Amino acid sequence: MSNLFEFPEDREASSAAKVRALEALLIEKGVIGSDSVDAVLKHFETMAGPFNGAKIVAHAWVDPAYRQRLLDDTPKAIAELSLPLGMAGAEGEHMAAVANDEHVHNLIICTLCSCYPWPVLGLPPYWYKDPVFRARGVREPRAVLQEFGVTVPPDKEVKVWDSSAQIRWFVVPERPANTAHLSEAELAALVTPESMMGVALVAAPTA
Amino acid sequence: MKLAHHLGGIENLGPVNTDTRVFVEPWEQRIFGIHTVMMAESAHLSAAGHAYPVDTLPTAFKNDWTWASLRTGAEDMNPFEYFKFRYYEKWLGGIAQFFVDQGYITAEELAEKTAHFRADPHAALPERPNPALSEQVNAYLQNGDSPHHENDAPPRFAAGDTVCVADPQAVDHTRLPGYLRNRRGVIDRVYPGQYSYFVSTGVDGIGQAMPVYRVAFDAADIWGPGKSEPNTTIYADLFEAYVQPAN
Repeated sequence: MSNLFEFPEDREASSAAKVRALEALLIEKGVIGSDSVDAVLKHFETMAGPFNGAKIVAHAWVDPAYRQRLLDDTPKAIAELSLPLGMAGAEGEHMAAVANDEHVHNLIICTLCSCYPWPVLGLPPYWYKDPVFRARGVREPRAVLQEFGVTVPPDKEVKVWDSSAQIRWFVVPERPANTAHLSEAELAALVTPESMMGVALVAAPTA
Repeated sequence: MKLAHHLGGIENLGPVNTDTRVFVEPWEQRIFGIHTVMMAESAHLSAAGHAYPVDTLPTAFKNDWTWASLRTGAEDMNPFEYFKFRYYEKWLGGIAQFFVDQGYITAEELAEKTAHFRADPHAALPERPNPALSEQVNAYLQNGDSPHHENDAPPRFAAGDTVCVADPQAVDHTRLPGYLRNRRGVIDRVYPGQYSYFVSTGVDGIGQAMPVYRVAFDAADIWGPGKSEPNTTIYADLFEAYVQPAN
């Protein structure tokens, strides 16, 4: 889309200066502290991020009873694991997991804005927030998935979850074949944010 | 009729952007951080389910600032600009304007300070840490702001009911995706208890605590047979105000 529009050459430098000016003024006026923004960013480096979701998914793969508990009562099942504080915190107060299997492929979307399960996935990637994905994902999810490199066979149901109220959804992707020898930590390392939103499959390690 | 209310379903937009970066430019982190600090010190949190000491926080910020504030601003945008600007460019424009409109800063001092950092991008920020605010930021991020309310009042609909989505008068802000208006779906789940929303949306109908339903829609019922992909179900969580009996 952006090639339809003209932007000034200093587009990014201008925004960078403006946001720094805004932060400086807000600090001067006592609206925020000079350490406040960094406190937010640190939370998303250490506490809330896709590293949590990947552990949840890997545990669901190795423990079928846990997988069922995760689908039945997501917050309670998440609380069973040793994860950082705040798994029911901001934008994760009410989360729900849905699982891909041989019959169903799930795709998470937010057509109205960019609702995303912060504690387990961190912040949404650009593609999730882009208006073209949000426009097309509900009308032609299979075509959109194809553009992400995911082919869903016609006999497999596609379920699209539009995050329009309180629930923040995420996907338990299918475990790739030939991973029986991997540890839970090694499995977690295969799980990407995209696979937990439904626009990617999890690939087995190639080496 | 606002673009952001009716984005879902628009055709002919070309390929999706598959960029997996959260922040496309380093500066975007700062506006995300400013917004999140504002949410953590929002005046409305003094009445939140989790008791936050925002009344006594050492901050000059005295407004409500929630997702509803940011969303209402985005919904108010010129539709061409909505497509033109990247996600955090919209945030920067909306949040900077909010601080000017509310009198925290003036447009002139923002322009002057922007020119200062444009000339010297690495000029230092003022050094004024606010440990109590950092503590509140962490408390808010870890405990959130749940809109859930315990309530035993029986919900109007039950799982399995066929319902019709309401078509309320369009206002500044809504949580009803436009493509669902007047469409028939089936209640898949009644969420326990009730859920409020940050603000009243007036005749649109939400704000006060009410039941929320997970409603399933056959894609063919939304887009029309022959205009939808096969074997596709769309689920949306809808506040009770948006749900009506099917006739």
